[in-house]
Amino acid sequence: MTSGLGAALAIAKKDILSQFRKKFEIFSMFLFALIAVLAFSFAVVTGGSVSEEIGSALLWVIIFFTGMFGFAPIFLSESETGTLRGLATAPIPAWSVYLGKVIYGFLLMGVVEIFLIPIVTVLFGFSLLNDIPLAITTFLVGTLDLAAVGSMASALTMPSESKATVFPLVYFPTATSGLMLLIEITKIIVLGPGLIPVLLIFEILLAHMIAMLTLSASVFHFALSP
Amino acid sequence: MSNMAIIAENLTRRYGYRVALREVTLGFSEKGIHGLFGSNGAGKTTLMRVISTLLRPHGGSISVMGFDPQEEPEEVKKRIGLVGDKPLLYEELTGVENLKFYSKLFGLSSTFFVSQVENLAQWFGIKSWLEEPVKNLSTGLKKRLDIVRSLIHDPQLLLLDEPFSGLDKDTTEDFWEYLNGCRNLRTTIITTHNLALGAALCDEYVTLRKGIVISQGPISDFDQTL
Repeated sequence: MTSGLGAALAIAKKDILSQFRKKFEIFSMFLFALIAVLAFSFAVVTGGSVSEEIGSALLWVIIFFTGMFGFAPIFLSESETGTLRGLATAPIPAWSVYLGKVIYGFLLMGVVEIFLIPIVTVLFGFSLLNDIPLAITTFLVGTLDLAAVGSMASALTMPSESKATVFPLVYFPTATSGLMLLIEITKIIVLGPGLIPVLLIFEILLAHMIAMLTLSASVFHFALSP
Repeated sequence: MSNMAIIAENLTRRYGYRVALREVTLGFSEKGIHGLFGSNGAGKTTLMRVISTLLRPHGGSISVMGFDPQEEPEEVKKRIGLVGDKPLLYEELTGVENLKFYSKLFGLSSTFFVSQVENLAQWFGIKSWLEEPVKNLSTGLKKRLDIVRSLIHDPQLLLLDEPFSGLDKDTTEDFWEYLNGCRNLRTTIITTHNLALGAALCDEYVTLRKGIVISQGPISDFDQTL
């Protein structure tokens, strides 16, 4: 029997391969992110830049909403095609199915962010280079946090008849607390270090991400076998 | 009782207020082909889902190959193969990629995987289609590939939910011949509302009506007029 982590990696690899071939979700994510960045840059950028507070908030709001296009179909497509039953009847722990989807969501969002963040920093005229290690760690933890919440929201939405309506109702409230922390940390990175105790906020973000991951993973078997 | 593949006692499952299985008590012996008969809404698929750990019972108990699906789901899962109404295949992946993915979830060695694919693909006539993306295959070929997927880990218990629906004559004959050949090697449970076909293939039967067992026993006792 395969290990839980091995199964999670196999599920993530399968999803990445499928996505690489159909390209539907990633194209929607890129398109939305690009339109949102352009719209905001026309609306709020004056004199080549926006204030650090607004820029940091806009960056994460764009990532937050872009995530919807990638996270919502994570389980919904498996549920609609029936392949979820294949995962549910495989001799692997339920948490490995969830973890596999989180890894996939994280990588999908990560690819979008690699292109999105440079465009945002150029168009909004602010820099994340004041504290590069913290910036990278924040984006890694933040993206993992959103992927953890988004994957669980997608799983919880499966039994619903109006999935498109229910997904945001689950995703928004659960992801908002993490989103606020991410905006706050990014603002500190942009303003420069030493202004606010950033480590404390980062620890809360890390705790939020760990809580979301472990809580979702521990109850995920109810989503697979109702 | 040790030679029983399935033992259910007072098994109950509801969907909301609707009772799909009402205190079902039945047994299927190990090896052979067993039929689960009944018209639409009789509870056949619900029972198959409870056996395959996809649904939790709301009352009573069930033992599958000597294990409780609630207490030891992974022990049950590694012993079962499931073919449902929809193929549990990923459209963007090729046939062999699908089979490899499931083999990883089942923790199969590469030697065993290669020999299983070789034998099963040969038997079901899909060898030349394995490198083709599933989305390019006809319905019949998808069904053949799905049957191979369900058998890839050589399950002790094969669960077939309406396996012959949508199959052409050749695929039906091949599958029939395969099932006959494995009659003494594994336990197979088939749901069907095609009573003539079921009576010709099965050794034992259970007939359900509105979630209640109305008759069961050796196929020689089966009365199609019930």
